[in-house]
Amino acid sequence: MPKRSIVLVALVLAALVASAVPGESQAPVKIGVIQPLSGPVAASGNYVRMGAEIARDWINAKGGISGRKVDLLIEDNKSDPKEAASAAEKLIVRDKVPAIMGAWGSSMTLAAMPKLEEYGVPMVVETSSAASITKRGNPWIFRISPPSEMEALGLEQYVDKLGVKRVDFLAVNTDWGRGSITAFGDMLKKKGAAVGVAEFMDQSATDMNAQITKIKATGGDTLFLTTAVEQITLVMKQAQEQRLGRKIVTTGGSSSPTQLIKQAGAAAEGSYHIVFFMPWFPEAMPDGRLAKAFVDEWAKRGHPFEGLTEGFRGHDGIATIVEAIKGAGKDDPKAVRDALWKVSLMGVNGPIKFEKDGPAGKESGQSKPSIFVVQIRDGKVALPW
Amino acid sequence: MTRVGGGFLALIALTLPLWLPSAYHLHVAIMAGIFGVLALSLNLLLGYTGQLSLGHAAFFGIGAYTSALLTLKLEWSFWPALAAAVALAGAAGWFIGRLSLKLRGAYFVLVTISFAGVISLVSVNWIELTNGPLGLPGVPAPELGPWSLRTKTAYYYLVLAAVALSYVVSRRLVDSRIGRAFVALRENEALAESIGVDVTHYLVLAAVVSAAMAGLGGSLYAHYTRFVSPEVFLFSYTVTMVIMVVAGGKGTLAGPLVGAVLFTALPEALRAATSWQWQMLAYGVLLVLLVVFMPRGIVPHISASFSRTPRQ
Amino acid sequence: MNGLVLGGTYALLGIGLTLIFGLMNVVNFAHGEFYTLGAYAAFAALGWAGVDFFMAVLAAIAAGAALGWLCEVTLLRPLRNESIDTTMLVMIGVWIAMQNAELLVWGGVAKSIPHPFPTAPLVLGPVAIAPLRLFVLLIAVGLIAASWLLIQKTKLGRAMRATFQDRDTAALMGVGIGRIHAATFAFGSALAAAAGALLGPVFLAYPSMGDLASLKAFSVVILGGLGNLPGATLGGLLLGISEELGAGYISSGYRDAVGFVIIILVLLFRPAGLFARQERIA
Repeated sequence: MPKRSIVLVALVLAALVASAVPGESQAPVKIGVIQPLSGPVAASGNYVRMGAEIARDWINAKGGISGRKVDLLIEDNKSDPKEAASAAEKLIVRDKVPAIMGAWGSSMTLAAMPKLEEYGVPMVVETSSAASITKRGNPWIFRISPPSEMEALGLEQYVDKLGVKRVDFLAVNTDWGRGSITAFGDMLKKKGAAVGVAEFMDQSATDMNAQITKIKATGGDTLFLTTAVEQITLVMKQAQEQRLGRKIVTTGGSSSPTQLIKQAGAAAEGSYHIVFFMPWFPEAMPDGRLAKAFVDEWAKRGHPFEGLTEGFRGHDGIATIVEAIKGAGKDDPKAVRDALWKVSLMGVNGPIKFEKDGPAGKESGQSKPSIFVVQIRDGKVALPW
Repeated sequence: MTRVGGGFLALIALTLPLWLPSAYHLHVAIMAGIFGVLALSLNLLLGYTGQLSLGHAAFFGIGAYTSALLTLKLEWSFWPALAAAVALAGAAGWFIGRLSLKLRGAYFVLVTISFAGVISLVSVNWIELTNGPLGLPGVPAPELGPWSLRTKTAYYYLVLAAVALSYVVSRRLVDSRIGRAFVALRENEALAESIGVDVTHYLVLAAVVSAAMAGLGGSLYAHYTRFVSPEVFLFSYTVTMVIMVVAGGKGTLAGPLVGAVLFTALPEALRAATSWQWQMLAYGVLLVLLVVFMPRGIVPHISASFSRTPRQ
Repeated sequence: MNGLVLGGTYALLGIGLTLIFGLMNVVNFAHGEFYTLGAYAAFAALGWAGVDFFMAVLAAIAAGAALGWLCEVTLLRPLRNESIDTTMLVMIGVWIAMQNAELLVWGGVAKSIPHPFPTAPLVLGPVAIAPLRLFVLLIAVGLIAASWLLIQKTKLGRAMRATFQDRDTAALMGVGIGRIHAATFAFGSALAAAAGALLGPVFLAYPSMGDLASLKAFSVVILGGLGNLPGATLGGLLLGISEELGAGYISSGYRDAVGFVIIILVLLFRPAGLFARQERIA
């Protein structure tokens, strides 16, 4: 036999031997991920995806789940509820995933929820803020992000320090923006503040001068702003041009203060931001070591720093699901769901543990995430107090 | 289409749930059916009267919201809600038809777009009625007597019946004197008017039937996905319908159905075939290629190539 | 004042589209994508090639013209004898492909386009305007004027008008029809790209920014009358100003409805466009 063929045969034999190395079942554990990877919020969806990939790689580096690798099946919901439902159907029926993380926006999550109930597969909700998600009586939903009411409660202790007496609202015209206004409005009224006007902007609007003019006319001292970072940038710049001159507080955790400093510059000076992760001060997070490791890994991969305030959600979501699969001992959806009730782990945001939320007998799980406030001072992110 | 061919297709369609590999495929089939109804509805306006309605998603959305609200808030049963959805959508079509009496071509297009835009904004902002951006979750599944039509197989047959109904209505309309009036309108309006065709009347009629059919599609959609939100008024839904009708072959009845099946299956096939970054880019490129190679649409192209083959 | 700035750029978009839609009869759904391309081209020129801002705007215009020419020659020319719906469909495909290609190349994160102007507003009498916006307005006005001149005064412009008024006679007179079509599409696309490069620094650049731009462009074209250049200009200004004013008086959620309602009203009462008494460009 010619020499080349011998080498070839040897290689093939070696490959066969290598692949026969014993391990537990070789089939990877599949976890579904549904995010808006295109469309107007593509940036946020991609940040969550990047965080999820870091979690997956860390878990696989440590041996996966009982020797089995974790595989993320990533689907794009195109910011369209119909696509979110189709993606869920595909993941559950074709790919037979035992659990899903998604779907970023509240209407996307709500659209996918009937599929979860139809097939009995749990989903960990990592970003959506609508209260109805956990109140609808869907026992397959487990949320690690705070609904707007919880967020407002988290801010309550700082209201006096912020010195809020007369407040106006400017929010994106979505469930998130509107829910935020209701939640924070109620909380602020309870604390004795006066609520002025509530203005809205379309999700893709770029010119908010008219709304700012109306807000300027109320004579309030604080503006609560709820929208994505691109619009926050525009609002701040336009507010500066109009010399609005009042305290701005952004809510919802999508404000990415680093990006604001870069793109809004001096217009962002002095503003406060509610965030769920402080990548500028990882040591101040509940698990400082984990937070710092996450920030470092993110930077190592060349991801933009400003994405960290959303990317961590991807990590925490996947980590939670993996913990549940480990607890269940098998990747069966119902077993994973039962195991989710028992998980108690430390994520980048803080401790994750689910409590019952919603109508009796059909409760969803809701964790109580940590909430932080930062301020942009002298062109840098700082702890306000 | 020959009798045998049609019968064969009908057999396939009727037995689909039996031989499709999974519930996911049945899901795709149901969505294709719903869009088939929508494509047929748009075809009546676009293919037969030659008027392009780029606000068709408005009729779809009105049907969806009507059906959802009546069953959710007023606890109507599915069938009367469906009828109401069709009626209300048809009424909207009548409104648009009369509004655009003197408008043709580009101007009609713009009115339809503007109408859809206004309705969309209403659905987002009129919170008391529509729940705004949060949408209406938990739309109930339809029931037929004592049986619930919640299962996929049952729903598939419901949608199939709707497709058949839409096809029959379209066929009847097109083959009748009304249909010939539509075509006369499309080909040469001045001439049609000169021989006594009441152009306005027929245009409004086309708009009403087209809108009502789209409302049917909307109601079916609402009770299948069980969640309605302002996104149903997204321009992308209208664009999808246009793609299905024009690429499938406007002015034919098989074209929109072929288009509906193809362009519902294609994004899902791309979802399986490529990773998320390339899916929509591939979709766009494929669409461009399809139009360049089959400018008249798939069905006309295939019919033309058959007729070129000499028959024995 | 902001209304004028917006209006000027709407006018640019409108002029480009009125040439493409009004004269070439192509329902160009990808018009907004050329706008987006303009913004990203400026971003790329500034970031990768390190040129200054004015050159970046020129680069954007060049990119728009080049891609527009390419589209016309490869896609529209073979389809020239097909129905308007077919060309519309192919431009829908181009729209989807371009937007997702931009998403692939630059990602979904919005990009800020750096500009050399100070941020403090200039105060001119009772009006305060940011220097950047003033620059945008001036350039937009300049481009609009240049377009008018091109169409009315130059040989190319005459050839364009001749071609679209009566193609066969123009061909007999020696006008290269193919070249004129390509040039017209390229020119219209270049104007859209210019609008994108100008507005990019004012707002932000992101892949779906063109969708709303397309819609506004179509509104402007119809307000002004198809193929009517002065009409498109005035229509653009009118839309920009009324949007600004409307938002001040009506609940901000319904703000975009102002544009739609105006369009419906105009079409009801003056279907040929507000400025139909002006001559068509041809």
